[in-house]
Amino acid sequence: MSVARRYATEGAFRGPVVTRWSLWLGAVLVATLAMYLVRPSLDKAHGTLAFLLLVLGASAAGGRALGLTVAALGFLCFDFFFLPPYNTLTITNPLDWLVLVAFLVTSAVATQLLYRANATAAAATARAIEVDRLAALGAETLNAADAYEALQAIAGVIRASVDADECDIYMMYGAEDRATLVARAVQPPAGRAASALAVAGSFDDRGSWPAPAKAGSLIDWIVEHGTSAVELADGTVRVARGPASAPASPRASGMLREDPLTAALEAVTRREEDAGLAIRGENDDGARGAPVEPIVRALAFPLRARDRTVGVLRIASAASLTLSPEQARLLTALAYYAALGAERARLTATAERAEAERRVERLRSALLTAISHDLRTPLTTIKGIAEEIRRGADRELAAVIEGEADWLDSLVGDLLDLSRIYSGAVRPALAVNTVDDLLGAALRRASGALRGHEVEVDQPKDELLAGVFDFTQTLRILVNLLDNAGKYSPPGSRIDVGARVRADRLTIDVMDRGPGVPEAERSRIFESFYRPPGVPPDVRGHGLGLAIARGLAEAQEGSVRFSPRSGGGSIFTLELPAAPAFTPEPDRSSIG
Amino acid sequence: MPHADGDSLTVLVIDDEPQIRRLVRNALTAEVIPLDTERDGAATACAARVLEAETGQAGIDLAAAEAPALVILDLGLPDMEGLEVCREIRCWSSAPIIVLSARHSDTVKAALLDAGADDYLTKPFSTVEFMARVRAQLRRARRPGAGGTSAVVAFGDLVVDQQRRRVERSGEPIHLTPTEWGLLRALVTHPRQTLTHQQLFKTVWGNVSGDAQQYLRVYVGHLRRKIEHDPVRPRFIQTEPGVGYRFEPDAGAT
Repeated sequence: MSVARRYATEGAFRGPVVTRWSLWLGAVLVATLAMYLVRPSLDKAHGTLAFLLLVLGASAAGGRALGLTVAALGFLCFDFFFLPPYNTLTITNPLDWLVLVAFLVTSAVATQLLYRANATAAAATARAIEVDRLAALGAETLNAADAYEALQAIAGVIRASVDADECDIYMMYGAEDRATLVARAVQPPAGRAASALAVAGSFDDRGSWPAPAKAGSLIDWIVEHGTSAVELADGTVRVARGPASAPASPRASGMLREDPLTAALEAVTRREEDAGLAIRGENDDGARGAPVEPIVRALAFPLRARDRTVGVLRIASAASLTLSPEQARLLTALAYYAALGAERARLTATAERAEAERRVERLRSALLTAISHDLRTPLTTIKGIAEEIRRGADRELAAVIEGEADWLDSLVGDLLDLSRIYSGAVRPALAVNTVDDLLGAALRRASGALRGHEVEVDQPKDELLAGVFDFTQTLRILVNLLDNAGKYSPPGSRIDVGARVRADRLTIDVMDRGPGVPEAERSRIFESFYRPPGVPPDVRGHGLGLAIARGLAEAQEGSVRFSPRSGGGSIFTLELPAAPAFTPEPDRSSIG
Repeated sequence: MPHADGDSLTVLVIDDEPQIRRLVRNALTAEVIPLDTERDGAATACAARVLEAETGQAGIDLAAAEAPALVILDLGLPDMEGLEVCREIRCWSSAPIIVLSARHSDTVKAALLDAGADDYLTKPFSTVEFMARVRAQLRRARRPGAGGTSAVVAFGDLVVDQQRRRVERSGEPIHLTPTEWGLLRALVTHPRQTLTHQQLFKTVWGNVSGDAQQYLRVYVGHLRRKIEHDPVRPRFIQTEPGVGYRFEPDAGAT
């Protein structure tokens, strides 16, 4: 019954139950009447076959119960009207008994077979939907560029699949390896457009959602003991006894199950016979003798991958959390995806950390080299000249000390910036800025290196170009590019600066007539401490300018590229997000 | 009121590092500081009297007791934040404050100016640059409301008529929107002084926050395109990277 009703909702049988029943029972009566009119010429076999057809039809359309009812009614009608003596239920001929019993058995068997075939087909459909969902989720998980987006998608699917109000995924993260909330999907408030992904997790927001105070410590407990837990409506928590028979918390009563997930599911899954009831805890059917179960509000269990706990999954409902057996099975499969997702996110984070550490380490070794040469040379000069001046040398020599000090200052600044970039500590302050401002400040700041060069700026006359970027960091990028152009191009040569907005990108080109960059060197020019071969010794650089420029650009969704300039020279292109179009206010012809 | 006692000018230096204090003291006493007051028209000059404080608290006490004409404040003080010292002194003194800082972010610089500082220098700085800033601050302190004394002010070929709200460049009238006019007036009435983005917001838009504010730089861009000959190499409205804008009235003369 209950199963038939559940399948009914999936569309295997259509129409209201009452109509269907009266239709088929009516058909039996009509058939009886029709055959009654031609009874003298009717063979017994004709009658049984007609009734058999009706039974098959009824069980196909109305299920097992209707089929059996039609069979019973057919049995009575046949016996009453068509087996002599007529109009009694008495049977004289023993062979007629055989006909009747054969009819009944055939009907019952056919009905049962039909029912089973239908049930199997419906289950197959349900399974197919489930498999589709898993396949879609699998594809989504693999496709998501960001492991956190994948987790977010999984949380959304899980929440929708089990009809919960909330699904949280915690991940083991960070140096202390603490469980951190990385994805949360919540039921959208009624009336608002349904959205599975209520909270879009981004890299920076990670862990910033307040975890439920009680859930927080429970999550830690789950991680520590590797067992699952359910939160009850009365505020108590039940934990499963873990494989290692971990000591249960004082308030908890053990659930005595080996596998944490199975144990947890047991507590929230409706049994087959309860399937029609929405809330198991409220099932107080005393006749069955089932104990009254408290209402379960939330379920949390560890996510395991490669034999270690990689995170915790928690689903919760405001009212009561109950799962159908299908949902429980689906949750088991989905939890596996969540575990893989958490593991992937953890590996990504570890890889990022390792990459940052590797770069800092490389910078550190380069720094040691730099200290021995780049810092000591100017210090030696400063010391020597200071002594000369003290001994009475020309005071004008102090200018050399000033120059060396400036150079040291800029080197220290560059090294600080580069270490900040490589360790990921650069936090750009993004704002709408104009190209006029940027170019103006950059040309002023790079005026020393640009001395002796004519700088031609080319940008639209009637359009104020603007981008979204951190002003000082971008200024630094541009100054570095202009410095390079001034330093490496022949004195007196022209340097062109072009700015334009195309689609939603702002690009600024710095073009010189210097020697360009040989093909073989192009991949290396953005590395720290790179210096082009064959540069005259009076051109002093730290070899950090382009590395800093690229690092700062990438920290704000921009880029710096090199391309050779036709006719000789280099083009360095800075690309940044353009500002959305903005019309300040109607340009009134007069004011005041 | 900052004042010059007879022919001496009191400058307070708050810095915990003796080397920097010595550098600043030498720079201040090495040359005679010209005091070109407008009232008598004649340029007078005086030697600086330098007071030194090693901590923020000592600096605040000295500033209260001696009413210096200028305060030089280092940010890396052992006992309190330079920002607090700045705010405290600004509560009751209008003496210009020049802040010395190691590498600090622009946010910190802007916060300092918002807290009442008048200028800042990043270490290491040259004494020539330092003295130029000192002279500029003293000159401004002695001419309060410069640009506000007369309704019509000319900066080279740029003429700003504040009373009639009219702007002319090379004799040609320039049409400004109300926002552009608000920005120009704020800048013109505070010549040679860096106005932070925040200060400009408040002056032009009041305390309301809205979409317009994030486009302040775009408004300045439009204003520049109207009054400057080359908006990329502006003569009047200078950019203080990451901090704000500064109006240079003398630039028009060159």
